Amino acid sequence: MTSLNRRQIMGLAAGAGLASAFPGFTAYAQEKEIVIGGSIPLTGVFAFAGVAIEAGMSDYVKLTNEAGGIAGRKLRLAYEDTAYKVDTSVAVFNKLTTQNDIHLYYGDSTGFAKTINEELNRRGTILMAGASFGSELNNPEKYPFQFMAGPDYVEMFAILLEYIAKAQPGAKLVFVNSDTEFGRDPIEASVKRAKEMGLDVVAQIVTPPTAVDVSTEVLKLRRANPDFTIFHGYVLAPLPEFMSQAKQLGLKTKFMGTFWSMDNSLWANVGAPADGFMGVMPYRYYYDTSPDAPILEKIRKLRPTYQATGYMQGFLTAMLMGEAAKRTLAAGKELNGKTLKAALNSIKDFDTGGIIGVPISVPGNSVPVGRIYQFNAADKQMKPASDWISLKK
Amino acid sequence: MRIATAKETYIADEGLLVTATQRAWMGVLLAMLVLAPFMLNQYWLYLACLVAINVASATGLNILTGYTGLVSLGQAAFMAVGAYTVAFFEGQVGTPFLLNILAAGLVSALVGVLVGIPSLRVKGLYLAIATIAASVILHFVFTHWVSVTGGVRGINVAPARFFGLELASPFALYFVIVPITCLMVLGAANLFRTRIGRAFIAIRDRDISAEVLGIPLLRYKLMSFALSSFYAGVAGGMWAYFFRVVTPESFPFATSIFFLAAVIVGGLGTIIGSVLGAAFMTLVPELLKYVVDWLAPIFPNAGAALSPVRTIVFGALIILFLVFEPHGLAEMVRRARRFFHLWPFRT
Repeated sequence: MTSLNRRQIMGLAAGAGLASAFPGFTAYAQEKEIVIGGSIPLTGVFAFAGVAIEAGMSDYVKLTNEAGGIAGRKLRLAYEDTAYKVDTSVAVFNKLTTQNDIHLYYGDSTGFAKTINEELNRRGTILMAGASFGSELNNPEKYPFQFMAGPDYVEMFAILLEYIAKAQPGAKLVFVNSDTEFGRDPIEASVKRAKEMGLDVVAQIVTPPTAVDVSTEVLKLRRANPDFTIFHGYVLAPLPEFMSQAKQLGLKTKFMGTFWSMDNSLWANVGAPADGFMGVMPYRYYYDTSPDAPILEKIRKLRPTYQATGYMQGFLTAMLMGEAAKRTLAAGKELNGKTLKAALNSIKDFDTGGIIGVPISVPGNSVPVGRIYQFNAADKQMKPASDWISLKK
Repeated sequence: MRIATAKETYIADEGLLVTATQRAWMGVLLAMLVLAPFMLNQYWLYLACLVAINVASATGLNILTGYTGLVSLGQAAFMAVGAYTVAFFEGQVGTPFLLNILAAGLVSALVGVLVGIPSLRVKGLYLAIATIAASVILHFVFTHWVSVTGGVRGINVAPARFFGLELASPFALYFVIVPITCLMVLGAANLFRTRIGRAFIAIRDRDISAEVLGIPLLRYKLMSFALSSFYAGVAGGMWAYFFRVVTPESFPFATSIFFLAAVIVGGLGTIIGSVLGAAFMTLVPELLKYVVDWLAPIFPNAGAALSPVRTIVFGALIILFLVFEPHGLAEMVRRARRFFHLWPFRT
């Protein structure tokens, strides 16, 4: 019997490594195709969203190609995993843009969007969107070739505040955020905005992003006794713990969150303590059977099981990219950052096929529209709690 | 087969490259480094620069952990200090970029000395915890000293400029980052031919004996921390010019573990180990992506489905190295060299 010794094993490992260095399969750009590049986090802390985003984008590409493509050109999604690390995301960007003729790109984080911005400006050939709703990116002067397929975090708070101001004028609020760039993003601007709207932010609580024991924070919340508590900078934990402890203390505050905390499957697993949790959602949920949502019907046919909110984000981002490319080509212009962004900004009262319940416009770098949803633990579903709220600039 | 290498002087005995073969190979390596930017595309140049930055930092950590025996999990924080120093000097003072990179090293070295003070009393895991605590404190400073660090949003760094030439692309930065890293690696290799380097090794092998031999422990341990942090600071400074944005999240704790893994996989207490370890840790995850590419035609949705497997394979490769080659990649190189030295005889 042949047995491998240590050197042979190490040699094989080294050989495998070397062999993998030679790209045997390279997706060369075919003529007449539009390539959407993507630095997508399929592993790491943000993988839950990345996998859904990839599925959403792939499905948009599939549906568009089945319908004949864009101006006769097929769409193709070329992406790689980034593990949600900025240096890997940049590596993927460099690799994909070297191998493909890319004019549309999806980035995975605020950090990546900020890092790659100078390169986007230097090239001037790519329009980028991504998973970040960072308010800093919603600045067309500084980020001329980027956009986000939804409201930025400050706008998400503004939508929540608008709802609160209407539901309970003069309400007392507490903001709870994680001690991260993501968590701190909308806080300062939203405190100011709440004041302008006659709402009273009685306390701000900052927690570590991975906080587990939140008993001291819940005591602070009890002292503040707000009508509404808005979380930001988390996906799920420590929200259920916060809510369970607050309920045990008899607090009547209503808990709210922003987009990345609004996935239905997350709250369905939490069960009873999740009942009544509200938040802002820029898109309809997968299970929404509204008659004016034909795209959702198609998605359900493609994928019979529930698709997370990241799916809708990916789908709509690809749709807006596709629309920008369509308008650019229809105008007889070449695809580059400037023409694509101009085409994107020309989108006015655009029908998303029901992904968003109202026609949308992209006046700057964001789509400032959202709706308040509330979780119903008995039905295990997020249900609309308001009509669509479009922010006026 | 090489019969022997005659060394007629002590200087020759201490030489870094003692044989003609070594000098020839070094010449080939240097020629390749010079030619690389003209032959590689933007993706590989980007990776080359990233490897060079990581080599600089890993070499620093190897001085501290591999040669002096002081375990540190604060390398990422020291890099962050360097990156913020560059961002501050570039944005607020406007000094030349080479000076900024030097300042990054010096400021980090100063912070390293402060963090190293507990090393006289504690070592091993306890010191590792102390360096983690220092990282947490530094992270707090980065987040809250808004006037200098820009708070959670961080600082955008203007591109480095050299006689009016903007160094913004990986191609241009290659000519800065790679030479600096080469100089640093050369410096580290030379360090262990001096009294200071040998004192570090003596401390690592048995600190009490080293003190009995007349090596002041505090001074040399702090010196090791200062040198290691200097390397990290310079690496962080280059990182800042490379990525052009520095935020508190640019250097997470996982980065410190990355560098510790790099020096262990490469080979603790060897300079070549730092180089190989940093290259391994940076490049292997990228190379594994090509395997996913290969499988794409036969495996539907390979990118999404196989990415987690790729991460597992990378982890398994590290474990394999630790199990089958505990002395790291440096030992594999040594064995390969020995094979050729003795060829056609077997070791």
